[in-house]
Amino acid sequence: MTDITTQRRRTRLDRQFDQIRAREEAGLNSHAKGSRFVRKFLNNKLAVFGLIVFTVIVLASVLAPFLTPWDPQKINLRAILKPPSWEHWLGTDKTGRDVFARVLYGGQISILVGLGSAVASAIIGVVIGCYTAYVGGWLDTIAMRVSEIFMSFPQIILVLLLVAITGQSLANLMIIFILTGWGGIYRLARARMLSLREEEYVQALRSFGLSTPLIAFKHILPNALGPIMVNVTLSTAAFILQEAGLSFLGLGVPMGIPTWGNILNVAQDLRVLQNNWWMWLPVGTVISLFVLSVNFIGDGLRDATDPTQQG
Amino acid sequence: MLSYILRRVLLLIPMALVISFLVYLGLELTPGDPVSYMIPPDMYGSMDPERLQALRESLGLGQPFIVRYGIWLWGVLHGNFGYSMSGGVPIINIVGDRLPATLELSGIALVLSTLIGCVLGTISALRRGSATDNSLTVVGMLGVSIPEFFFGLVAILIFALNLQWLPVGGRTLPGYVTFWDRLPHLVMPALVLSVTMTAGVMRYARSSMLDSLNKEFIRTARSKGLPEWRVNLLHGFRVALTPVIVLIGFRLPVLIGGSVVIEQVFQWPGIGNEFVAAVRSQDYPLVMMIALLSVVAVLLASLIVDVLTALIDPRVRLGR
Repeated sequence: MTDITTQRRRTRLDRQFDQIRAREEAGLNSHAKGSRFVRKFLNNKLAVFGLIVFTVIVLASVLAPFLTPWDPQKINLRAILKPPSWEHWLGTDKTGRDVFARVLYGGQISILVGLGSAVASAIIGVVIGCYTAYVGGWLDTIAMRVSEIFMSFPQIILVLLLVAITGQSLANLMIIFILTGWGGIYRLARARMLSLREEEYVQALRSFGLSTPLIAFKHILPNALGPIMVNVTLSTAAFILQEAGLSFLGLGVPMGIPTWGNILNVAQDLRVLQNNWWMWLPVGTVISLFVLSVNFIGDGLRDATDPTQQG
Repeated sequence: MLSYILRRVLLLIPMALVISFLVYLGLELTPGDPVSYMIPPDMYGSMDPERLQALRESLGLGQPFIVRYGIWLWGVLHGNFGYSMSGGVPIINIVGDRLPATLELSGIALVLSTLIGCVLGTISALRRGSATDNSLTVVGMLGVSIPEFFFGLVAILIFALNLQWLPVGGRTLPGYVTFWDRLPHLVMPALVLSVTMTAGVMRYARSSMLDSLNKEFIRTARSKGLPEWRVNLLHGFRVALTPVIVLIGFRLPVLIGGSVVIEQVFQWPGIGNEFVAAVRSQDYPLVMMIALLSVVAVLLASLIVDVLTALIDPRVRLGR
């Protein structure tokens, strides 16, 4: 009796393994993980909405020269403060510059600052976090202390302090964002690394005599990528908001370069605020939509990369 | 417990020393004669070079760097923050003037956002997956995505310029001193500041409440036959509160640094407004001292968080 049941179970297991082997040989299994990730992401309506809005705004900024005939910097004193029309879709500002063109070209810089600083600070944070946490010892202690120093300033205060010291320029701003932004992702990478370091497969790799950087970056890092990607999206959103805020204060990107924050800067004038809505309302909406889309993408990524949630 | 607190305080001191050292290094490296911000400016202007040199000696400026740092730190600890370069006012007076306004604004925003965020987050978690939950999630996303100053601009346009219900900005009209006179000025900035902070607390409270509702003691409480609201609020919410308190603790520094942009939008005469003005005019002594104060606030807040979590959760203080 018992013999028969074990026999049955075995055959069922065998059949399952045969199926898995067949799929592996057909090259399906290697794609299974990717496709589940994509499927989970696409099932999330908000994430898809975010991805569409994100793509539209990025494409519109990159393709700005094809979408508008106007030069964002060209001063035209014959067309000052014109409301939206067929000629100027979002009207013109105090010096007759086309606002629509400025929003498109401004998007290039704002997205560059946000995305660029987020990716760069993530790379720095991940490299330092993975390596020092895997090696441990005094290197790890020093990296931790340095990140603690950076993180014990309120972010906006530290950014403004560094702006005061270094002066205003686009490159300085990105460097400052990277300096103030690497700490968060460093801690995340370090924490993941510390827990993954003790896994058995890592010990096996070490006993094979693989070099430390190879283990850390090639074999452990991929297992920590999910939360890191989520963090990159969140810090992109944060940097875009910070650039807008700083430029609104007149302390971000120099006023000569159009960015979303610099365009919004004019709204500090109450007359503009009340009478010339086209100069600040559309660009504010674009910033909000863009940050919203990035946040939705981040949420979608979080759900899709979380192995505890099946989908 | 006492020894735990003591240990935490002792851990903070090296951190504070290192940061104050960096701040002093910044002060020394940025342009400007150190004497000019150590004595009142009218005195500095009217003094002849020899006396200035003698003063330098007596202030210890001829000494090695580390000694100068020690003298400076001793002064700071005794409330001698130096002088602002542009106004010539003692920095401690500026801080004393401006800090109450900021504390008033962000204190109200902190309390409001905590209360509303906890309530909405708990509702959201209890009705997980419902229309209420989904719309609250989207509203929360909007709250963290819209730049707070843009939100403030729209609020000014609607409530101050078009409807004219509330003043455009400032803290009070000349001649009015009581809190109730200031209230109309306070409403908009405090609410705008609360929105972003509420969204964060709400999302956090929701996930932490969901966590605690999945725990086994909730099932036990339910199987005892307790009414549902008791299970949710007395058992679930109390445990969910710990991470929320941690989050709020880490937000405490916004009392100094969080309202920089909003203060500018509403012309609120707080410390953030002063800080931006100092950055604009490259008034380094003032910038550095406000930054140092905000760091002290962060360190104190993290101490408070640690002590609170240890009080709530005995595992923390016994674990170490």
